Amino acid sequence: MTPGSADQLPDAIVRVVARLLLGPSVIVAAGLIVKGYAEVGDGFGAGVIVALAIGLTYVALGREGAEAALPVLRHAPKVAVGGLLLALATGFVPLVSGNPPVTHSPAPGADVTKVGQLELITAVLLDVGIFLLVVGVLTVLLHQLALPDDEAGP
Amino acid sequence: MVEASRDRAESPGNSAHRALSPDWQGWAACAVAVSGFVLCLVGRLAGGWSVSLPWAPSRGLRLDFALDGLGALYALLATGVGALVFAYGTAYLSLHLAHERRPAAERWRFWPWMALFAVAMVGLATAQDLILLFVFFDLTAVCSYFLIGFDRSRREARTAALMALLVTVVSAVALLVAAVLLYAEYGTFSIPRLVATVGAGTTTTVAGALVAVAALAKSAQVPLHFWLPRAMAAPTPVSAYLHSAAMVAAGVLVLGRVHPLLARSEAVLSGLVVVGAASILVGGVLALGQDVLKQVLAYSTISQYGYVVVLYGIGGAAGNGAAAFYVLAHGAAKSALFMTAGAVTMATGEDRLSRLGGLARRTPVLAAAAGVAAASLAALPLTVGFFKDELFFTAALDAGPLTTALAVVAAALTFGYIGRFWMLLFLGPARAEVGGRSRLLVAPVVVLAGVAVVAGVVAAPFAGLAAAAGTVSNAAPVTLSPAYHLDARPENLMALAAWLLGGLLLAARAPVGWASRGLAAAGARLGPRRAYEATLHGLARVSAALHDREVRDLRTSIAAVLVPAGLLTALAFAATPTAGAYRVGTVSGADWLVLPLLGLAVVATLAIAWSRARVAVVLALSVVGFALAAVYALMGAPDVALVAVVVETMLSLVFLAILARLPRDGPGRPPAAAAGPSGRWRDLLAGGLAGLAVFASVWGFLSQPAGTSVSAEQVRLTPGAHGGDVVTVIVADFRGLDTLVEVTVLLAAVIGVAALLRRGRLW
Repeated sequence: MTPGSADQLPDAIVRVVARLLLGPSVIVAAGLIVKGYAEVGDGFGAGVIVALAIGLTYVALGREGAEAALPVLRHAPKVAVGGLLLALATGFVPLVSGNPPVTHSPAPGADVTKVGQLELITAVLLDVGIFLLVVGVLTVLLHQLALPDDEAGP
Repeated sequence: MVEASRDRAESPGNSAHRALSPDWQGWAACAVAVSGFVLCLVGRLAGGWSVSLPWAPSRGLRLDFALDGLGALYALLATGVGALVFAYGTAYLSLHLAHERRPAAERWRFWPWMALFAVAMVGLATAQDLILLFVFFDLTAVCSYFLIGFDRSRREARTAALMALLVTVVSAVALLVAAVLLYAEYGTFSIPRLVATVGAGTTTTVAGALVAVAALAKSAQVPLHFWLPRAMAAPTPVSAYLHSAAMVAAGVLVLGRVHPLLARSEAVLSGLVVVGAASILVGGVLALGQDVLKQVLAYSTISQYGYVVVLYGIGGAAGNGAAAFYVLAHGAAKSALFMTAGAVTMATGEDRLSRLGGLARRTPVLAAAAGVAAASLAALPLTVGFFKDELFFTAALDAGPLTTALAVVAAALTFGYIGRFWMLLFLGPARAEVGGRSRLLVAPVVVLAGVAVVAGVVAAPFAGLAAAAGTVSNAAPVTLSPAYHLDARPENLMALAAWLLGGLLLAARAPVGWASRGLAAAGARLGPRRAYEATLHGLARVSAALHDREVRDLRTSIAAVLVPAGLLTALAFAATPTAGAYRVGTVSGADWLVLPLLGLAVVATLAIAWSRARVAVVLALSVVGFALAAVYALMGAPDVALVAVVVETMLSLVFLAILARLPRDGPGRPPAAAAGPSGRWRDLLAGGLAGLAVFASVWGFLSQPAGTSVSAEQVRLTPGAHGGDVVTVIVADFRGLDTLVEVTVLLAAVIGVAALLRRGRLW
């Protein structure tokens, strides 16, 4: 986790494993969200799992290495804000139709369209929002903590 | 204004100021106010409108607005005067910023608050719900804090802003308490429904008194009046708006809105009369001796809103109608006078009556317009002010001889101080240089003076507006027909007596001034401001003492959490019956797996307490976390276990990352050892207390028989919400609103971290 030079980086196995783990972790996270409403797991847990894989990449490759290998990481703040907006929107859109906030549709007892095990209800959108927020927030925190002091400090 | 004027005095003429770019923010705010005025006017002419949206239906809360008579009056006043003051402010603020050598970007610290204030006033005027009323009430206070403290480099501006905020916001809590009291009794926050159902009784009296406290503090009534003269540290457009027609008017607006409730209790109405009378006298007498222009006007405002409070105290058709008319007439006149004071100070660099004089020859238009505004305040004929006093006298006559005498004295005081203000400013020998003038600083005063004269001839539109507003306050029809009567009716005699007495006050200016200043000095020594300052200093000292103790070192910071938590739990423990609440269960099945895991957690915890090496502490912490996660998994909470595992992993990672940033030396000897054996015992005591409290709480909770709790109900409802997993359904649905708030906090925390580490840059 020490920021900086290549001579401090962990050995090749850790680096390879870190790169390889990212894909499966995203699959696991997706599974947690899809199954979340029926079985164990939710957006928060899924988000932390993806963030853990990203964190491992930081450990393995260093900050610069990780951010060079995964340039998509620099969108983390946008992902966090987007996730929050999605969650808030899911919560407050029902107000428009005169319902209390966080009223999910279809209503309790109504029929639900199923795609495999995934039930298409708005609560899943809320979970996706939380997932994005958690991934974004934790990635930003990892980035901030990994920055060397002279760049970070005032 | 004192600092600014000193600046000015050094460089009279002040042509050297660099010109600032046009104030488009100010004109945008002005456009907002104008369009608000037009909309309110159209709405009023169309017979009013109302809108009601659900907000929190389970609590009976709705976003309930209506442009009724009262709402229209205050909304038109706030937007109409607002538009003029904003136009004035575009010129004033540019000059003000140029004086203080501040950049034009500072306008962003001013105009958004002004515009928000206008919006909040319209919201307050049209709100039909006690909670909404409270929200807008506090919103105006928050805006006023930033506006009064606009010159934030000056200490007095900051103190004044804080004082205005504290006095009005702390007393506004009384409004909320009253709302909750009424809700508890009648089950609604809606004002029209309360008006329809509430009867006389103790609850009504207490709630009415509480509302009155909030409203009177806002309207700067004795004894909570002291914030207003201090608030004159604000730039003049702020005073011309907030301290004439808006912020102080918000208090009496609330009185007018809930007046049918107040009228259920004689005690509350009498209280209003007493407070209003005291404010009339204190404000009027103190205004007679003030030297600083805006201070005269500030004390005058205290006195003038005293009139309105007395009128609401008198109540009935006459009182409520006159109160509404008074607010309208006073708001227009007073903001014109405030703008006059600002224009004079900007042109001469002086802000004291003793250094000004003879301005009538140099600024005839301003002198005439200000004269009309002053005449309107002093209730001279051919101005709208005459009718405000006529209606006031009528209501006072109905209320009895004491109120009648008070009314005459009040009008005489007004005549005296406003006459003195105008004469010292515009007549007599010229004392100050007149520098550059801006037309825009004079034009709004002229417009308001024109309004005062036109309404002084044709009073019907003002009277119609005020009658409609009085009808709402009175909950019964009110008709107002102000007119000139050339006969010896009592109102006319009272007006003559008031002018005569006021003329005497003017003639005996010097002794009256001494007496007034003597009273002001006595008030400063013994008055309520002293009590406010003593309270504030006392609280600050207690808070500082606690804070110093808490942040002295890591141990006291931890103790500050552990000891109060332990003591509170112990208190709860002592207050609740414990018989049968603690049971020792049996160990069976999976419990045999849980026990060693808990043992592992205990051992790891002890290791944390004893270890000196950082990495060992972090690893031991994660052992505790994983052991507990395993316990969750075994106790049938796989969701919690999953979250615990992933969070624990992340925490360990972050801890290690932080350790990598610390210097290489270990933590050294723990401070407990350094503090000696007594320190160690103290630590044990604090930790033991908190630990025991938690132990007792958890044991008591686990002893509860299953199936009678909220959780059972949640398990029952889960399938209906299309879910199989209770925890997910709770987070996403049952407690969804909590989740939304919590995730918002998460993002706020990240922004906090970014602010601490990287000056707010997220990436």
